[in-house]
Amino acid sequence: MKPSLSSLYQAVELRQQIPPLIIGERTNANGSKLFRERLLENDYQGCLQIGLAQEASGAQVLDLCAAYAGRDELRDMTELVALFARSVKVPLMIDSTTPEVIEACLKLYPGRCIVNSVNLEDGGRTLRRVCSLLKRYGAAAVALTISETGMAMTAEDKVATARRIHDIAVGEFGLRASDLLFDALTFTVGAGDASLRDAAVQTIRAIREIKAALPGVGTVLGVSNISFGLSPISRKVLNSVFLHEAVEAGLDAAIIDAGKVLPLARIHEADRAVCFDLLYDRSEGQAHDPLVRFIEHFKAAAPSEASSSEGKFEGAEQAVFAQVVEGGKEHLEDNLSMLVQRMTPLAAINQVLVPAMRRVGELFGRGELLLPFVLQSAEVMKKAVSWLEPLMEKGEVRQQTRVLLATVQGDVHDIGKNLVDIILSNNGYKVINLGIKVPVETIIEKAREHRVDVIGLSGLLVKSAMVMRESLRQYREAGLTQPILLGGAALTPRFVAESCVPEYGGPVVYCSDAFAGLTAVRAHEAGRLVSTSWSAAGSVAAMKPGARDAGIARDNPVPVAPFFGVRHVEDIDPALVLPYVNRQVLFRGRWGYRRAKLTAEAYDSLIEGTVQPIYDGLVCRAVEEGLVRPRVAYGYFRCFSEGDAVHVLDGGAVHVFRFPRQAAAPHLCIADYFKSEAEGGDVAGFFVVSIGDAIGREAHVLYEANRYHDYLMLHGFGVEVTDALAEYWHAVMRRELGIAGSEPSDLSGYVTQAYQGSRFGFGYPACPDLEAHRPVFNLLRPELIGVTLTENMQMVPELSTSAIIAHHPQAKYFAV
Amino acid sequence: MKMICANCGYIYDSEKGDPLNGIAPGVAFETLPDGWVCPLCYAGKEAFDPLD
Repeated sequence: MKPSLSSLYQAVELRQQIPPLIIGERTNANGSKLFRERLLENDYQGCLQIGLAQEASGAQVLDLCAAYAGRDELRDMTELVALFARSVKVPLMIDSTTPEVIEACLKLYPGRCIVNSVNLEDGGRTLRRVCSLLKRYGAAAVALTISETGMAMTAEDKVATARRIHDIAVGEFGLRASDLLFDALTFTVGAGDASLRDAAVQTIRAIREIKAALPGVGTVLGVSNISFGLSPISRKVLNSVFLHEAVEAGLDAAIIDAGKVLPLARIHEADRAVCFDLLYDRSEGQAHDPLVRFIEHFKAAAPSEASSSEGKFEGAEQAVFAQVVEGGKEHLEDNLSMLVQRMTPLAAINQVLVPAMRRVGELFGRGELLLPFVLQSAEVMKKAVSWLEPLMEKGEVRQQTRVLLATVQGDVHDIGKNLVDIILSNNGYKVINLGIKVPVETIIEKAREHRVDVIGLSGLLVKSAMVMRESLRQYREAGLTQPILLGGAALTPRFVAESCVPEYGGPVVYCSDAFAGLTAVRAHEAGRLVSTSWSAAGSVAAMKPGARDAGIARDNPVPVAPFFGVRHVEDIDPALVLPYVNRQVLFRGRWGYRRAKLTAEAYDSLIEGTVQPIYDGLVCRAVEEGLVRPRVAYGYFRCFSEGDAVHVLDGGAVHVFRFPRQAAAPHLCIADYFKSEAEGGDVAGFFVVSIGDAIGREAHVLYEANRYHDYLMLHGFGVEVTDALAEYWHAVMRRELGIAGSEPSDLSGYVTQAYQGSRFGFGYPACPDLEAHRPVFNLLRPELIGVTLTENMQMVPELSTSAIIAHHPQAKYFAV
Repeated sequence: MKMICANCGYIYDSEKGDPLNGIAPGVAFETLPDGWVCPLCYAGKEAFDPLD
C-alpha cells in the first residue's frame, strides 16, 4: 500500500509521482506574522483564511502550528484542527512537540494526518511516548535529526541520528518506515557564518545517505531556512534552486510557502549560477566569496526575478487571487491597494481577478465548488472591481463582450436570469439586464442601442417557452444575428433544437444553468458557438414499448365537500407549514449545496456546520419576525366534465376551464379525472396560497446590495416554503373531503404523491395556460388575502401558487 | 446507491428501477440512458445528486 495522508475530503500520497509533496508553511504561529497576529486575537476564522489561501496556491498538506508563548496550545490546536478539518480539503500536519497536544489532535482529526515532529533531544523519552500515539492512531511523522548533543550539523551526524530514531520507531514500535519523513535540517548560508558555509552541502548529502541507509523512509525539509537573513527577492530564487537540488538528491516533501516556488527553468541563468556557487560554496578563481557575490548580484539584478515569475502569482496578487477563489472578503481593500502599486487597475482586473473567477468556474465545472460558494466568490469579485474601477484612467476602457439579458414578456421570475447576470458580469462581461416581463420590441431596441454581442432570454413558465419560440422570428425579421441563449425550467434541449433553432438565423443555444451560459459566451468569443442539436437516440420515450391510453375509472365515489363556495384563512401558524419543507430539495436544488463529489461524511459535515444553521436562522425569522405570513383562499365547487373542459358551478355562474390533452399516449387530460353531467357530476377544489411579500422585498434588497449568496438563500427558502404551504393546504383539503385515509408517512411520500388525488398548478406542465387564473380569481377572490394578477395573469406576490384539486385516485402529475 | 432529484426530491433507487419510464429494477443510475429524465419533474440526469 502506498503511504498516504487523508482528510475528510481526499487522500494524498506521501511520495508524489512528481516530487516534492508541498506542505504549506504559513499556518504557523512562529513562521507567519499574520497567522500569529490572528491567533493572538483568537481569530480562528482568520487563521483558517490563511490555510485556505495556501491550499488555493497549491499546498497539498498544511502544517498547522499554534505553539506560542503565553497561549494555551492545547486549546488553540484543538479549536483550529476541528475548524481546519471541516473546511480545508488537504490533510493536516500537526506541528507540535507536546505529546498531550499531539494526542488530542490525533483523536480529533477525521483522517490520517502527520505529526511534526519527533527527535532525540531528551534521549528518546518523548520520542517513545509519541511513537506509541502514532501507533495507536495510525499517523505518520516527521523526525528531526536532533539528538542529546543538539542539532546535527554534519551529514554523518544527521544520518546517525536518523538511524537511531528509525530503530526506535520501526524496531521497537513497529511503525512503517514509509510513514517516517526525516528532516535532515538545514541552516542558512546567508549569515556569513563560517561554520555554516557548507550547510547546504551537508544537508543534501544527508538526504541522499539517509535514503540509502534506511530503505523505505522519506525525507522532508523546511527549505526556506537555507536563505534566512537574505533579501526577500533573492530568498525566493535561492529557495527554489535549493529545493530543486534537494529533490534531485531524493527529497520527498518540502515545507514551504506554496505560492513562492519558481520552476528552475524560469530562473535566469546568471541567477542560477550565483545560487549554485553559494549553495556549493564555490569560490575558485573568484575575487569575492560566494555570499558577497550573491548579495551583489541580487542588489543589481533585482528585477530579473520579476520577469522569471511570469504567470506565477505572488504577494498581493496571490492574496487577491486566493480571496476570490475562496470567497474571503477580509482585508480585500488592503490587498488591492498593494496590487495597484504593482499594476494598473485594468491589469489587476484582467490579469488577476478574471483569471481567479475562471478558476472558480473550472472548480464548479468539476463539481469541486458548489453554487453558494461560487456566489461568495462573485461577491468578492464585485467588491474588488467596484473598488478598482474608480481608479481607472479616463480612456482606460475594459474591452468587454456585451450580453443582453431579459426575462421574457409575461414572466415575472428573475432569479435564474439574475444568477446568469452574476456569473457573467463577474467573469468580466458587460451585462445589460433589462429585468422581467420584457417585450420583444424593447429587447430589439436595446440590443441595437448597446450593440450587444449575445442575447440571453429567460423564463420559468411553460408559456415562456412558447413566447421565446414565437419571438425568434421577430428577432430575425428585425435583422438581429447575434447568438440567442435560452434558459428556463420549461425548456428542453429537444424543444430548443426542434422548435426554436429553425426560427432564427443565428445560433440558438439551450443553457441548463448560468455556467452553461458562460460557456456559450466564451464559445462565441472563440468563434465556435453552434446551435443546440438533439437526437432521439438514447431518449427514454423512444425505448418505451408503446404506452397505451390510460383507462380512467368512472365508478369512483365522489366525496362530500365540507362546504361549497370560498373561504379565506389568514391566521396560519408558519410552524404548521415548515414541517412540509423538503429540505433535500431546498439544500441541494434551490440552494445548490449538493453532495456532488463529497464523501457522505464530508457532506454531513457541510450540512451540519453550514447549511442547517442557515436554514435554522431563516426558520427562526419566519416564525418570530413575520418573514413568512401564510394565507389561503380556497373553496369547493360542484362541477362536471365535458370533453377536455371542466365546468365549475358557483351559485348561478358557470366557469369553464379548458385543459390541454397529451398529444401522445397515454393522452391524459385533467378533465378526465372529473365525472360528466351524465355520470352525476363531481366536486373540484381550488386554492390560491401565498406567504406574503416580505421575503420578495428583502431578496430584492439583497440582490441590489450584491449580497448574492444571501439572496439565493432567502429566495430559495421562500420558494420552498410556498411549496410547503401548498402541500400543507392540500393535506387539509384531503382531510376535509374525507379522503385522507392513506397519507404519506414521510416527505418523500409527498414527492411521489402517495396520497389520494392530485393538485395541478396553473402555469405548470399539466395545465400550462395561465389564462385559467381569470376564472380561478373569480371563484376565490384572492385579492382579499393580498394576491393580485398582473396583466399577464401571473400572481403577485411572486411567492404564491394556485391549483385545482382532483380527488380521483388515479389523478397524479403529468405533463402535456 | 440512491440518487435524489435536486429539483423535486424524487429518489431513484436502482433496486427498484423506474417503472414510470420503463426502467427495470437493478439498473444502476450511471447506466441509465442519457435521455432519461426524472419521472416526476422531467429534470435531466445532471439534476441528480448522490443520497447516501
